[in-house]
Amino acid sequence: MKFVIQRDELMNSVQHVMKAVSSRTTIPILTGIKVEAGEEGIKLTGSDSDISIESFIPKEEDGIVYVEQIEQGSVVLQAKYFPDIVRKLPEKTVEIEADNHLKVTIRSGGSEFHLNGQDAQEYPQLPQLHTEDSFELPTDLLKNLIKQTVFAVSTVETRPILTGVNMKVEEGHLNFIATDSHRLASRRIPLEEANSQVKFSSVVIPGKSLIELNKILEGSEDSIQISVTENQVLFRTKHLYFLSRLLDGNYPETSRLIPEQSKTVVHSATKELLQSIDRASLLAKESKNNVVRLMTKENNQVEISSNSPEVGNVTEEVAAQSIDGEELKISFSAKYMMDALKAVDNEQVRIEFTGAMRPFIIRPIDDDQILQLILPVRTY
Amino acid sequence: MSKWYPKKGRVIFHVDMNSFYASVEMAYNPALKGKAIAIAGNPEERKGIIVTSSYEARKKGVKTTMPLWEAKKLCPELLVMRPNFDRYRTASREMFNILSDITSFVQPVSIDEGYMDITDCQHLGSPLEIAASIQNRIKSELDLPCSIGIAPNKFLAKMASDMKKPMGITVLRKRDLAAKLWPMAIEEMYGIGSKTAEKLYKMNIFTIKDLVEADALQLKRILGINGERLQNRAKGMDTSPVDPDAVHEFKSIGSSETLPEDTTDYTEIRQLFSRLTRNVVRRMQRKQAVGRGIQIMVKYHDYKTITRSRKLPDYTDNESEILAVSMDLFEKHWNEEPVRLLGITVQDVAEKKDIAQQLDLFTYEKEASKEKLYKTIDELTEKYGKNPFKNLGGKGLDIEPRTSFQKDFLNDYRDRNRTNEE
Repeated sequence: MKFVIQRDELMNSVQHVMKAVSSRTTIPILTGIKVEAGEEGIKLTGSDSDISIESFIPKEEDGIVYVEQIEQGSVVLQAKYFPDIVRKLPEKTVEIEADNHLKVTIRSGGSEFHLNGQDAQEYPQLPQLHTEDSFELPTDLLKNLIKQTVFAVSTVETRPILTGVNMKVEEGHLNFIATDSHRLASRRIPLEEANSQVKFSSVVIPGKSLIELNKILEGSEDSIQISVTENQVLFRTKHLYFLSRLLDGNYPETSRLIPEQSKTVVHSATKELLQSIDRASLLAKESKNNVVRLMTKENNQVEISSNSPEVGNVTEEVAAQSIDGEELKISFSAKYMMDALKAVDNEQVRIEFTGAMRPFIIRPIDDDQILQLILPVRTY
Repeated sequence: MSKWYPKKGRVIFHVDMNSFYASVEMAYNPALKGKAIAIAGNPEERKGIIVTSSYEARKKGVKTTMPLWEAKKLCPELLVMRPNFDRYRTASREMFNILSDITSFVQPVSIDEGYMDITDCQHLGSPLEIAASIQNRIKSELDLPCSIGIAPNKFLAKMASDMKKPMGITVLRKRDLAAKLWPMAIEEMYGIGSKTAEKLYKMNIFTIKDLVEADALQLKRILGINGERLQNRAKGMDTSPVDPDAVHEFKSIGSSETLPEDTTDYTEIRQLFSRLTRNVVRRMQRKQAVGRGIQIMVKYHDYKTITRSRKLPDYTDNESEILAVSMDLFEKHWNEEPVRLLGITVQDVAEKKDIAQQLDLFTYEKEASKEKLYKTIDELTEKYGKNPFKNLGGKGLDIEPRTSFQKDFLNDYRDRNRTNEE
């Protein structure tokens, strides 16, 4: 195997596949990166058997040559060393060559590394997905779906299914839902006609997979293809192949847990409210679980306060656009509220409360695609 | 009487029960008096170690933490008993009741020892008279021996109570230090364990006098802030007050257990973890506590010990969550070597009443159904100050302690004080 490649392109691909490589794995060869030189270009593969990522660097694209002098072949390189070597090479081009004894030579300018490779035959074959069940989305829309939901997945394994994001197709809409049982984040988008033949109804994708995918994907309007099988999901763009296992088990039905009526509705500017809660949480952080209190007042004023006996207290008033319904005093986690307000992605926010002990809903004004729900805290 | 009391400064007692568990057993069954008896964790198994022993056994060389078989070799007539925690608990409560009759400035430090500040007790007599009356009452009412140290601060009182056992009363004044305290070997000093002692040996410090004369800067470099504190204590200076509230604080709740045999058997390890979790959760419920840090301890066959911990996003007292996190920590860090002992500690512990309870999406309706009640309580609280209602905690009452008895008893003391306040 031999090829000469643009260093920046190679580095970019290496960084992508490294997202799947873990130093802790039961299959030793998976601590490496598989490098394959084919007629059309170079393919890199990384996997921890939960996530597998393939990144392809074409020989040539849009008239720009990325790879030259290809002699076909493949080898597995130690992921512990290869990325750092590539990053620090002196020249813009890199020559990589493997001999029959899996000795790999990496040359760039005056620098020459010799690395021991491993046999690519021993690298597990990635499953090829054969499924008709796929649909396409603009990449930046998928990134938004991920960003607005994945932060709410559970980080503890008490209920493993909650560490994933529930991807659901219902009535021509695609839903992303995540909850750690203390808050819930969901986003709904209409599916285009061309995607209407999607057959799967509900799968759960590990939150970690989506976080890594979101890091790799560049925000663009190019479409990304999503294919679903019984136990895996594949995200495919032109040069990227991102395969993740799905979580086993049924995702809890959450729609019935979302209150349909409200007793108190607050309209407010998102940023003012966010900043106010951020300030109140400065003192709350020190106390037990970062709790701030919200209280409706007269003349459309909302009072945000926090009290940490050892530190001090803070009270401030935010002028709301409007407050309708019953008076309310409610306490909640400042962090959850800030996460939700950031995900709302709109200058104006509508918060619907149904009592101090019940979940409340945060949405952008006049938009029901985004729904953030938070369970309050009860102070003993 | 005031001539016995300093114009400035304080008079502190350290009351130390003499071989407490063994003495309680003897009080309970006078036939045991004068015999070599020992209380051991688990007489049959290899983890049986001596928890405490009578003076008769100690004369033969039996020591606390000594393995059972070794103790029997030294003292073949040794009578080994399992601990009867209920008896010790009752005796301890009675003992602290006697101390509390003298002053409210009582700071229990464990089941069988506590500090008292009697500076303001001049009307009751001289310190020696008060000490003698305490000792007599404990002896006559409970049939238990104790030693009392009298000094101007807690450290010296602690050292003093240790100087004459059993049934001693020792006064340690500042002017006595050169004769009584300084000649003692450094490892006899309260607060110096074997690790610290080793470091001090390297600095050629072998007696408390050496510590007094040691270079303060060098001490601080080797032992940090603790070096300074130890040297001050050796000089007879200790400003820490007798704090009756110290008992109110608990930062962690843990439980550990040695396996019957070293093992690599995952099922067995899991079983032990779930037992430990159950213990810890039971004790948390008893204290109405929740925690948000979990630490596991793994001691390997070669006594190499590791601890690993994780912070949780929220406070919990949930058994399955604590177990899940513990197992996860274990799986991530176990080196597959045979395991001898496992432990779980819940850290960053707070009392439920001090923290807010994060409601759960899947269970909030249960709580929400009590909303009206809580609202009423809130309104009354605003009106009268302090929650006028008390949750009797139902099952909390019959949850018996199983481990870390020494710390659990502190709750008794606290609860009792609380009831007194109310």
